[in-house]
Amino acid sequence: MFFAPLDRIRRTIGLRLTLWYTCILVGSFLVLFAFAYFYLFLLLQEFERDRIRSEFNECLELLQSEGVDGLKKEVALENRLAGKSLFFVHLAGPDQKTVFLNLPDDWRNLERASFDRRPVQPGIVWSHLSKEGREYELMSFPLPDGHVLQVGKTAENRRVLLEHFYGYSAVAMVVVMALSFAGGLQLAFRTLTPLRKLIGQFRATITTGNMDVRAATGRTGNELDELAVLFNGLLEKIKLLISGMQGALDNIAHDLRTPLMRLRGIAEMALSSEASPEVLREALMDTLEESKRIDSMLNALMDISESEAGTMKLNKEKLNLLRLVEDVADLYRFVAEGKDISLHVVCDQGIHFTADPIRMRQALANLLDNAIKYTRPGGRVDIEARQSQAEIVIKVSDTGIGIPPGELPNVWNRLYRGDQSRSERGLGLGLSLVKAIVQAHQGKVAAASEPGVGSVFLIHLPMGS
Amino acid sequence: MEDDLKIASFLAKGLRQEGFAADHVADGEEGLYRALHEPYDAIIVDLMLPKLDGLSLIEEMRRGKVNTPVLILSARRTVDDRVMGLQRGGDDYLTKPFAFSELLARLQALLRRSSGQAQPTCIRVGGLTMDLLAREVVREGTKIDLQPREYDLLKYLLQNAGRVMSGALILEHIWGYGFDPQTNVVDVLVCRLRSKVDKNFETKLVQTVRGVGYVLRAS
Repeated sequence: MFFAPLDRIRRTIGLRLTLWYTCILVGSFLVLFAFAYFYLFLLLQEFERDRIRSEFNECLELLQSEGVDGLKKEVALENRLAGKSLFFVHLAGPDQKTVFLNLPDDWRNLERASFDRRPVQPGIVWSHLSKEGREYELMSFPLPDGHVLQVGKTAENRRVLLEHFYGYSAVAMVVVMALSFAGGLQLAFRTLTPLRKLIGQFRATITTGNMDVRAATGRTGNELDELAVLFNGLLEKIKLLISGMQGALDNIAHDLRTPLMRLRGIAEMALSSEASPEVLREALMDTLEESKRIDSMLNALMDISESEAGTMKLNKEKLNLLRLVEDVADLYRFVAEGKDISLHVVCDQGIHFTADPIRMRQALANLLDNAIKYTRPGGRVDIEARQSQAEIVIKVSDTGIGIPPGELPNVWNRLYRGDQSRSERGLGLGLSLVKAIVQAHQGKVAAASEPGVGSVFLIHLPMGS
Repeated sequence: MEDDLKIASFLAKGLRQEGFAADHVADGEEGLYRALHEPYDAIIVDLMLPKLDGLSLIEEMRRGKVNTPVLILSARRTVDDRVMGLQRGGDDYLTKPFAFSELLARLQALLRRSSGQAQPTCIRVGGLTMDLLAREVVREGTKIDLQPREYDLLKYLLQNAGRVMSGALILEHIWGYGFDPQTNVVDVLVCRLRSKVDKNFETKLVQTVRGVGYVLRAS
């Protein structure tokens, strides 16, 4: 079999389902049969007893009107008409002695003691006798004068009928069993088809490593469809993570090559020339600076990748918005002063929200860093933070060189550096790190700019992020 | 305790140059044995050690009632790792790659803390005097007015006079920031300080060691 293990799974679950199904169906059939059998038995018994009762009444009437002789004559007549003796009729005297007895052929092997008993209580007494597979119904009635009149009949018809019923039922039973087994198997098979398909997809994904395969989902929305949808979701997530990791690795490898190349260049230059200790010292310092750059680049790249892959760890705390903004502004106050740029903070007191404090400072610091970097001396940088419904909005605006409209959408991209920004030192990762951090907080970033007038950068954060 | 021999030898060499007596072990089990049986002033532990990892080693050590200060080295940089390291009994945490000067500064801070040295009320380097109680700085008879951040930086450099302090250390100490902003805000602060402390004087006390950090030296 091509998918032997798959077949095995199907068989075990399918077989168990089928067996249960069959058992339940057969069980129900048995209950039904038992009821039918019992009811039929009662019906037939009542039918026979009716016949015995009417014969008894006839006998009793004769006995009362014409005496024992009349009874004898009537019974003999009946026997002659029927060709055989139908009813067992027995009249016993008060002294237990038989006064009259009509014993049909099929009653002969019954022992006399089994019916020759005087009823203890008054009224009709029914007895059910059986001997050698034959069954008999016997009605006994003590007469007021001390005699006991007994009329009986074989229950042979009933037995044969019930036996037939039994036989047919057994046949029906086998048919029901076969049908329910086949039906159960078919049902189980059909029910498990989506599961089997899903298993096939799993197997294909695992053996080929192809993440693009998707399980077919039905429209019924049952549990198995749900499973298929979940499976697809899982695949999607895995694929995203893998491609995220691959992308990050590619990017990191690519981004690190340039500074590594510089590092190597510096070292090679220093080694190849007969340089003075001073020059060598300079080269060593250069390599240190370069390695520091690589380190901070690696950190930023990893942060960005983590956030893009959705695995950035956030240690969220309740933060005071004003304090956060003033903290970051404080960090850059001297830098701004040194460039003769005025730095203004506008923020209401008492606004709190939840976020990772280190990450938020980092994001804000990067925005502020950018704003100050690209603003000419004498300009101003504004940080405005406020609460807008369930959102925190932080706006960093400057009167800097601005960004050409064509470059604006690219500023958030990793390692993108606009034409005018190339002259400034930087990693080209600042804004993409801001975006990464804000997105990790389920927030949004936006930018607007007019060349020569200034730029505005916006962070939107959900309050409870 | 460090399993990378190159890093270990550069650390040991650096520490000996600074006047420390340093022993090196390359695996956790031997490290634990030594830590439990020999009196050290401080231990530097790499987290990824063969035989017994750094965190378990520190835990074992603390269980053995050895309270030697521990500086953790790790290549992992997440906040969780740092918190975990400190929770398990480490005293400070440094992420690879690090500058030797930073390791030295942290190590000395640990030693100072554990020896419980009383803080001096007055620091003097060259012609510069800082009165820590009055928050006053005087150089060769001239009073120097400093803003709080500038004062903090000068105090930090004075307390670590002669030692190169990295930008990251200063950033963390002055602003409490654990990440590096792109523009060198520390550079700017040092420049301001320099213009107030050194501008009108022959000897330049605050010096930049490019690629490493800043140092306050009388020479």
